[in-house]
Amino acid sequence: MSSPARCATHAERPAYARCMACSAMLCQECATQWEGIWHCASCLAKKRGNVVARSPFLAWIGVILFSLTFLYLGARVMVWTSALIASWF
Amino acid sequence: MTAAPWAALLIATSIPYRFLQAIFLDELFEVGENAAHYGHLLGGTANLTVASILIAFFGRAVYARVCRLSIARGHAPGREGWRVPGAALASYILTGSAAVLGGFLSTLTLLGPVVAVMFAGLAIGTMELNERVSVIAPFRIILRHSRRLAIPFALVLVFFIAILVVFANLAFTFGLGVWLASAIGGFDAPKWNALFTTDNRRYMLMLLAGALVIIEPFWIAAHVIYVRKAGAQESGDDLRAWFEELRRAS
Repeated sequence: MSSPARCATHAERPAYARCMACSAMLCQECATQWEGIWHCASCLAKKRGNVVARSPFLAWIGVILFSLTFLYLGARVMVWTSALIASWF
Repeated sequence: MTAAPWAALLIATSIPYRFLQAIFLDELFEVGENAAHYGHLLGGTANLTVASILIAFFGRAVYARVCRLSIARGHAPGREGWRVPGAALASYILTGSAAVLGGFLSTLTLLGPVVAVMFAGLAIGTMELNERVSVIAPFRIILRHSRRLAIPFALVLVFFIAILVVFANLAFTFGLGVWLASAIGGFDAPKWNALFTTDNRRYMLMLLAGALVIIEPFWIAAHVIYVRKAGAQESGDDLRAWFEELRRAS
């Protein structure tokens, strides 16, 4: 029979959960649940860093410009397509 | 369904968009084959319709977040539901706008609108996977979740049938309402009966708009669950969640 899994940081403690990102075994002290998913401290810090890190200014400009263009063209195409279909009846 | 109270917000933000769509179609039927000569009128309504979709996008984003948090925690979140990350919202506005444009561009192909609806569903489902703002990344994430097309296609089919069922039920409810109200003295039932008929184009368009508004919360919840399940299968998270449930039960 295999021995019970142990915490990666505290070898004397039994594993309580597994980090979803790095698959490390975690004891109750090391395991943190964030939005329903278990993480170890280092993976949680990395994930938080990703969220907190600001997106490049150019990316914001690009997303806003593309969205506005899509919406503007959407309104125009909506009219053109509808007029075309209506002309058939 | 724990996210149910938040559906009211989604419905409130969707109503302007759906009913402006109904008004646009009503105007289109009104001008008929002369539509090409009424570009200014139709264009004005189309602009308003597309502008109102931004309000609908915000409502959808909040509702999708609430659905995801409810699934993870087992209860509806509080004020946290409002805090949609800026990157996720911007990504959804980008992909949602692309879905709108793609849908209209491909109207004549018949298959195109179905693909656009599938794309729009995956866009709201994958919204919160966008942790940073990017023009390309949101489309890549959608592409990754559309490898198994059978489920998104099945969802389109199921919800298309659901819209027809809701449409019929709404029509029946209005009929029943008039019948019950006719028992009240002073209520002009024949007048209302004449309005609530299949010959009344505006009534039919409003029923369709109402059916779409009613179906939307279920449509979004289904896609959030689909994306979460697909992610869980990739990461093994579902197995861990199952172990966790077993440990809690023991």
